[in-house]
Amino acid sequence: MAALGGAAISPVAGAHGTGNATSSHARIVSLAPSVTETLFAVGAGRDVVGVSEFDNYPPAVRKLPRVGTFLTPNVEAIAALRPTLIIGLANSANQREIHALVEMGYPTLMVKEDSIAEIERSITIIGNRTGHPRQANKVVAGIQNRISKVRKLMSCVIDRRVLMLVGHDPLVAVGRGTFLDQLLALAHGANIADGLPGSWPRISMEYIIAKKPQVILDGQMGTGSSTPGDFWSRFPIIPAVREHRVHGYPTDPTLTPGPRIGETLMMLVRLIHPEAFGSGVVTAEETGPEPARIATASDLAR
Amino acid sequence: MSAAKFPPHGSAPGVEHEAQARAEACRNLEALAGAFLTPGRAAARLAMLGAAVVAAGAVGCVFGGVHISLLRALTDPAGTDHAILFDARLPRVLMAMAVGAILASVGAALQALVRNPLAEGGILGISGGGALGAIVAMIGLSQTRFADEAVPLVAFAMALGSTLAVYRLALVEGQLEPFTLLLVGVIFNAFWGAAIMIVNSVVNFYYAHSILFWLMGSLEAPGYREVATVSALGLAGFAVLMTRARDMNLLSLGDESAAELGVEVHAARRTIFLATSVMIGAAVSVSGIISFVGLIVPHVLRLAFGADHRLLLPASLLGGASFMVIADLVARAAIAPAELPVGAITALCGGPFFIYMLRREGQRRLV
Repeated sequence: MAALGGAAISPVAGAHGTGNATSSHARIVSLAPSVTETLFAVGAGRDVVGVSEFDNYPPAVRKLPRVGTFLTPNVEAIAALRPTLIIGLANSANQREIHALVEMGYPTLMVKEDSIAEIERSITIIGNRTGHPRQANKVVAGIQNRISKVRKLMSCVIDRRVLMLVGHDPLVAVGRGTFLDQLLALAHGANIADGLPGSWPRISMEYIIAKKPQVILDGQMGTGSSTPGDFWSRFPIIPAVREHRVHGYPTDPTLTPGPRIGETLMMLVRLIHPEAFGSGVVTAEETGPEPARIATASDLAR
Repeated sequence: MSAAKFPPHGSAPGVEHEAQARAEACRNLEALAGAFLTPGRAAARLAMLGAAVVAAGAVGCVFGGVHISLLRALTDPAGTDHAILFDARLPRVLMAMAVGAILASVGAALQALVRNPLAEGGILGISGGGALGAIVAMIGLSQTRFADEAVPLVAFAMALGSTLAVYRLALVEGQLEPFTLLLVGVIFNAFWGAAIMIVNSVVNFYYAHSILFWLMGSLEAPGYREVATVSALGLAGFAVLMTRARDMNLLSLGDESAAELGVEVHAARRTIFLATSVMIGAAVSVSGIISFVGLIVPHVLRLAFGADHRLLLPASLLGGASFMVIADLVARAAIAPAELPVGAITALCGGPFFIYMLRREGQRRLV
């Protein structure tokens, strides 16, 4: 078990800018959607030759070869691409495949993206390793900018109790220690699932009613509906339902850790504290996919 | 018990052999009758089980994932405790009763139908089909507004479709053959399980929770409308089963004996099978696959009360209801405020208890 970690996988800290991956001869395979996004965000997109099954952002990745899912990378498909670097997220399901790739002698970089700090660190590491440290720093600075602007803007806002649901069958919430939990806190949302064990806890209706959430963010409702669906209308006792603060959100990319978490933060702020922004300051595109189009709190802060 | 008029067994060649066969049949009938079953005793036993359902329901309403004050819940209709009790807890307890009652009574009927102690909705491929339907609908419709309404409907349709397929394939020369039925059912069950695993590997891992949900079973967050629908389908199916209770008794003597005693064997099997599939379809559409209830409850009650289906069916209905309420209470409260899948609880609590009953009572009266 420990043999797998150790020296074979490039240690996260010491892997800076090894020259071989910086040139246009680099052939990078990404094993996770967030890693692919990061590679494109730091400017290494040209070197990406293979991505995981459900990667869809940026649009340029759609025509790239697929190398299996995030949980089950396909070793043969990866080897066939003759990668000079394989980047993925360490998780319990893909250990065996990663181990095989390491044994086969492929340079492998595993990153962690559970918290905001880890996401920022993985952007830096991926930027350094692919020869784009400056662009990576810019991406990280962009995230930090949004965070500090939200901090400034929201300094006198009172927290609202928030429930952020990932799915209905079963009711699974965003829980303690995830980057989304941290983003909720930054957006002055007090996550009612914080008291539950696990990062993605199952939560009961009783508990939800007892905790009286003032805002409910429901991933299953997608983006279409901003009024409580049939499901929530059964529970008028919940303040969020009574005050029409049940909102859908797009699970993709909201649940993806990666360079777009700054946008996710802005979306959470808008959904949890819409009144914190003057009308017209934050446009509808603010939650859109292109970072460039986002009119953020920077308008206010300047 | 009424089936005591055993007809002359003309086909037996020797007198001694005939006597032996008669003696065996009498022993079977005696076992069927549960030794001393009288209407009064049956009523007393059912009343006892009914009281257990009420008691389990009360316990299920008082305790749960969060603490509530019963007094406040009942006196302050605008309060949180009231909402927890009546909007979250009570519908869930009622749904547990409905689903438990369905699974257990269906288990009892199917065991008689195929004359096999392992039969239950899961093993005949019915719930697997329903679960696959639910999973596909849930993933396909996940970002639409119909998700909550459509998933149970698709699950129900798939459960019925699966049943019809199993039924057609189990017909041998126009007759429903128990062993073929069991084998086809087992194969369908494995087939649906494989299909679910394939769906699991090709969809985004966000759905892993939901797929596990349908495989492990859960009763969370039902509305009164769903409870009413499931209960109505369950009771309708149960009423049909009760009209065939006597046939089930006679079917366990073997097809030939049953036919000699006036049972239209094929018609009886078809009716029982279709009624059970509607019931299981209704249960699966809201709760996913909850295993073991259909196995344990009827077997335990058979060990306790005997194998007369006129008593066993309603006893399973009531016993299943209270067992499921308690299992779901454990699921809600064991690691509160988080939840466990109730299907795991039914197997975990039910298995050892069943083995205890089996060892204590011996295996003689099992089928």
